[in-house]
Amino acid sequence: MPNQTTSDAKAFHDQVIALLPRLRVQALALTRNRAAADDLVQDAVANALAAQNSFTPGTNFAAWMHRILRNRFISTLRKQRETTDIEDVPAGAFAVGATHEDRLILKELGQAVNRLPADQREALFMVVLQGMSYEDVAEATGCAVGTAKSRVFRARRQLQTWLTGEESSEATTPEQRAGQGRGQGARGALRNSAKPEGRGTLRSGVGEHHLLP
Amino acid sequence: MDMDSSDSSKPAPPGKPQKRKGGRAGEDAFDLWLQRGLHQLYDNVAAEPIPPELMRLIEEDRTRRGK
Repeated sequence: MPNQTTSDAKAFHDQVIALLPRLRVQALALTRNRAAADDLVQDAVANALAAQNSFTPGTNFAAWMHRILRNRFISTLRKQRETTDIEDVPAGAFAVGATHEDRLILKELGQAVNRLPADQREALFMVVLQGMSYEDVAEATGCAVGTAKSRVFRARRQLQTWLTGEESSEATTPEQRAGQGRGQGARGALRNSAKPEGRGTLRSGVGEHHLLP
Repeated sequence: MDMDSSDSSKPAPPGKPQKRKGGRAGEDAFDLWLQRGLHQLYDNVAAEPIPPELMRLIEEDRTRRGK
């Protein structure tokens, strides 16, 4: 086990603080709910502080911390398979400066992102929002680099299919195509997202179970 | 806070995503639109102040271990 010096400990806490904004976004990618995301970050930080002696200084801190966040999320998920939370459309969709049409489009994008399988949404956020490499995504999520690339690719193409209203058969898995058939493709599903049966089915069908081993 | 060094400028309102033109060019255009849209949606989340109780948790641990 690594032996942590006082200066290592100082650096450790500084790294935690510096990473908090990214952890918050990543927690939102996992939970899709602001309050749950804040709770998840708090819990993950508490876990990280308790386990800081297991971190080897000089290694990839962001990947280590993201792993803790992810594991904490999965652990919480196991305890609460029946979730009653409400997914949030990000506040950015209500930006004051945006036009009405832009707000609608952003809201639609936010809803579409929330419908992605959790593992795809997680990888997409890491690469597009956090600027992480595929190698770091693979390390943080415990998958092969090729799998990380595939998840991001499929997330992008799925969103493109949904948001432009065109099918992308080469980019989707049979499971996803079956889901699209059920929801009549994404555009229609988004438009009809207020329907209880559509929203419930989509939430439970493409959500967090992708993260559970 | 902009967390992606490849997109340093503040993203403009995304506008409508274009229908696919087919091939790589269409995908690239959509990916750029998507990147800007995601930053618009989530950058403000990252920029929010750290909750005081979370900072307290970290600082208390720092103090305890520094002794």
